[in-house]
Amino acid sequence: MRLFKNGKIASEAGPGLVEADVLVNDEGIILEVGPSLKEGDAEVTDCNGCVLVPGMFDLHVRGREPGHEHKETLRTCAEAALHGGITGLVLMPDTSPPIDSGNQLKSIQDRIAELGSIEMLQAGCLTKGRAGEELAGYSGLAALGVPMLTDSDKAISCPDLLRRCMEYARDFDLLVTSHCETPALAKAGVVNEGRLSYRLGLPGLPTISQEIAVERDLALARHTGVRLHLQQISTGMSLDAVRLSKRAGVRVSCEVSPHHLIFSEDDVTEYDTAFKIHPPLQKKEETEALLAGLLDDTIDVLASGHAPHTAFEKSADFGSAPWGASALETSVLAIYDRFIETGRFNWDLLIRKYSSAPRNLVGLDSISIESGRRANFFVFDPEAETVINRDYFRSKCSVTPFSGQSLKGAIREVLV
Amino acid sequence: MNDLKPRKDLLDIESLELDEIEYVLGNAVPFKQLFQRSVKKVPTLRGKTVLNLFYEPSTRTSSSFEVAANRMSADVTNFSVSSSSITKGESLLDTIETLQAMQSDYIVIRHQAAGVPNIVAKHTGASVINAGDGYHAHPTQALLDTMTFREVHPDYAGKRIAIIGDVLHSRVARSTSTLFNKQGIEVGVLGPGALIPEGRPDFMQRFQSWEDVFDWKPHAIYLLRVQMERQEGQFFPSIAEYHKMYGMNSDRLVSMRKLGAYLMHPGPVNRGVEVTDEAMGYEKSLISTQVENGIAVRMAVLHWLKPETQKD
Repeated sequence: MRLFKNGKIASEAGPGLVEADVLVNDEGIILEVGPSLKEGDAEVTDCNGCVLVPGMFDLHVRGREPGHEHKETLRTCAEAALHGGITGLVLMPDTSPPIDSGNQLKSIQDRIAELGSIEMLQAGCLTKGRAGEELAGYSGLAALGVPMLTDSDKAISCPDLLRRCMEYARDFDLLVTSHCETPALAKAGVVNEGRLSYRLGLPGLPTISQEIAVERDLALARHTGVRLHLQQISTGMSLDAVRLSKRAGVRVSCEVSPHHLIFSEDDVTEYDTAFKIHPPLQKKEETEALLAGLLDDTIDVLASGHAPHTAFEKSADFGSAPWGASALETSVLAIYDRFIETGRFNWDLLIRKYSSAPRNLVGLDSISIESGRRANFFVFDPEAETVINRDYFRSKCSVTPFSGQSLKGAIREVLV
Repeated sequence: MNDLKPRKDLLDIESLELDEIEYVLGNAVPFKQLFQRSVKKVPTLRGKTVLNLFYEPSTRTSSSFEVAANRMSADVTNFSVSSSSITKGESLLDTIETLQAMQSDYIVIRHQAAGVPNIVAKHTGASVINAGDGYHAHPTQALLDTMTFREVHPDYAGKRIAIIGDVLHSRVARSTSTLFNKQGIEVGVLGPGALIPEGRPDFMQRFQSWEDVFDWKPHAIYLLRVQMERQEGQFFPSIAEYHKMYGMNSDRLVSMRKLGAYLMHPGPVNRGVEVTDEAMGYEKSLISTQVENGIAVRMAVLHWLKPETQKD
């Protein structure tokens, strides 16, 4: 038995925190939540001043297994997630080989079960081998409870193929996920096209690459009636399109990453590849539009887009280095540091966007800190500070745009 | 003597202070005078080594650096890496290791990827001189262009230069225009819309036609090389159409002559594309002066930079 005393409980019900003790039994079930609970023979943790927050659920994570274990393994991925307050996640299928059939999915599900760690759901591919040419085997994937279909960061060029993917996925009521990009426009672009691409002399990636893809995918979703989820939205124009479609009844949701909410192209200095994050960081005003979209519920989900690579891979020149950074362990802290601590929004919004909404999207129930429920929360100390450096990370990858920063708050313990 | 802050590397123009620019351009003058003497060498860099590391084919720039280093009495090693023989980007750190082992005092580097000289500079005590990286920067070109312009216009501030052509893919346009702007020289550009980037700096005003350019009364016209090998899409219909719209032809030569404007080009010239044979013989062409000044400026840069490899 464990008793968490004097904590403040956060929930999606509202911005206020409720002061209460939490008693958890040895099976990990919450027995009681209330003021001044009796200690009895329970091990007491004094949470004085700390906030108890339901565990986060990350819809966009790369575990890199199988095939890229030098970047991350399911074990290090799970450890990193827990370290960052994340108790459940969806794994992208951009592994080697990609997860594009029931057999592939089964083997990774077995591996996850064998690990016996946190809740990890493996997504399946939209097309065979993520090649964007033929449909993957949805029936086999669906039979094993695949949470979503996605080709991860490979956009499907051909609108006819994507239409057929959606029509077929709809028959299984599968969630289709789109990485909004128009390859013919994105080409070799590595930074936002405009002032930044001019200044650094790097190939620019124009915002129309995402905006056209968003419009196209929304039109296809409206036409097919499929459930569509748009990953890593980064511009206000993309959000305007989503807003209109939602009003028109299209079954669409979308996500933004803490990186895109916090950083802009102004932060990309000196060819630091930690800032090579897909889609490329945008102008400052776009980050404001993204925050507005999060607050008005155009954006449903926060998702880290965790994309680990080795330090060696990221040490290449900006154009050649792979896209992505380590994000599982910085997302909650960064959101607290930049938005909750500063009063832009409260814990309830974080819980809605980074726990309940993504869980519900893949068919899982929301979690909360209530008696009778399984303990699934973390203890957050708002008075502490966390320095983001190599030693902080449990992930194999410590490449992060937050490198060297000190973020407000610290995750003391995660119960799951 | 001078009271400049010691600088290890020359990576771009943006970060240069005005007194540094004056120092380099000022020293380039006596170095250039040396070329008229029977002995063209000074002993300044005796015992020092210069490594010419070219990841992109280049004859002119690499030879210019080689000549400059020789005239400073440095030992020069030429190391050219054909880009097809390396896995792009990945072997960069390994290459740096190799370079470290060679213990060069100066590394002159050209690379197809922007930012590579910055990475090399961070990992070595040698002075790194950027000889062109991607579309990013070509600082010694900018210095030699400015030296050349200042020779014909000693009262250069407030003068005007029109840059014609592919600004988008041009590190020369980026560095040269930045340096001209720092010198108070006005910069205008003319070229196909797709090659005049929206993200260009505010000082770079865009013209719609040659008529507009001539009405502006530029003191020099700087033709950029059409980078036929470096384009990853179609930006104008054909070379013939480019020549028709933006090339220096006989009619435009007449207007240029009437203005008394000078003609500049970073080389090598695509004859019949940027410029006709006839215009190549223009009496106010500065193209070969640019080449000559390139050696003087590069000597001055080698003289100025302070490698962190030397104890004395």
